[in-house]
Amino acid sequence: MSLYLQPRQAGTTGPTPYELKLAGAIEEVFGTGVHHLEGLVKGLNDLGICSPTGEPWTPDTFTDEMRRMAA
Amino acid sequence: MVNRLNKTALTSDEIFATGMRNQWHAVCPSDFVARGDMKKVRRLGEDWLLFRQSDGSLRMLADRCPHRGAPLSQGQHLGDRVACKYHGVQVDVGGTVVSVPGMPGCNLEGKRLVTSLPVREVAGAVLAWFGTDPDAEPGPLDLPERLVDDGISRFLCYAEWKAPWRFTLENLLDPMHGAFLHRESHSMFGGETSAKFRIRETDRGFFFEKTDQRGVNFDWVEFCRTGVDWVDLEIPYPPTAGPGGSFGIVGMGTPIDAETTAVFFWRYRRVEGWERDVWRFLYRTKLEERHWAVLEQDRVMLEAMAADADQAENLYQHDLGVIRLRRLYRSQAAAQAEALAGA
Ligand code: FES
Ligand SMILES: [Fe+2]
Repeated sequence: MSLYLQPRQAGTTGPTPYELKLAGAIEEVFGTGVHHLEGLVKGLNDLGICSPTGEPWTPDTFTDEMRRMAA
Repeated sequence: MVNRLNKTALTSDEIFATGMRNQWHAVCPSDFVARGDMKKVRRLGEDWLLFRQSDGSLRMLADRCPHRGAPLSQGQHLGDRVACKYHGVQVDVGGTVVSVPGMPGCNLEGKRLVTSLPVREVAGAVLAWFGTDPDAEPGPLDLPERLVDDGISRFLCYAEWKAPWRFTLENLLDPMHGAFLHRESHSMFGGETSAKFRIRETDRGFFFEKTDQRGVNFDWVEFCRTGVDWVDLEIPYPPTAGPGGSFGIVGMGTPIDAETTAVFFWRYRRVEGWERDVWRFLYRTKLEERHWAVLEQDRVMLEAMAADADQAENLYQHDLGVIRLRRLYRSQAAAQAEALAGA
């Protein structure tokens, strides 16, 4: 009997380079103690991490993107 | 352990080794069995067939053909029945023989000869009632609120460990190991490495908790018996995990057999709106991998422990939770064996 040891269960595919980069930047901003939406969006923009359209994030575009990626 | 047919002969030691009867146990993640599919699992030392019909409903049958005992799991899914591969006998989802193709009119037809367990699907997992009397109604199932509360976001992590089920539960009733075994982890590096503990009774079980530290490491655990046995605990995240505070775990451990355990960890966080979405995104991209690394520390330790590790211990105050759990299961196993012997 082979035992089930599957590290990745929350998504069928691994994260894309874009997702990893964005996630890393989010962690970096959170790590400074900034935990509110406006501060997070500003922090991402300050780091030069743009939205997929190349535009700076706004609270709306960021929350839309997160809603899509949280599923 | 061999497939067992007659449960009435179970001894106290056998029950202690393969799990408590007359309660619900988590079986596997729901997505292990697709629509129109079936899957074999071993739980509590016996083999079972999970069978999902095309309407999505799930059934669980003993994996043993009533004719000559071949595994039904090797047979064919016929929508609302399974046909045994050996001689074609057909058993419906309730366990009744509906056709003996080689011998039409055979007196097996119409008889309910295969055990069928009541199942429920909860928070992405299959739960089943393992009763000693196949004809008795299942007992009530009171679900952990963490698994049903809409204000809580959760992911199920499932794994199978080559360790006795009691070791996996005792590990959860042992919060102090967080500060040592998991010191090199993303979430359990903080807090004192010495502590005092106490047991606090609740109407569904008990808390085992540090008296002098809370919210720094793995500092408390609640053990609950609500038709299914589960633990609840909380562990702080570092600031990089964003708003929402600690993450929690609802844990269950179901014996596969005496040596192997199916472990279920629902990692949850009280987050809504964009905070929920960001947590879920971070979980998928970053956190899941780190949580897994912590779980592997537990697995490696428990799998390396001798099967009789608990026969030569020198326990101290931190082990009160473990002692309490072990006594509870020991006496329940004895009571169940006695009831079975008298039945
Ligand atoms: S053993 Fe299943 S049909 Fe004979
Ligand atoms: Fe652990």
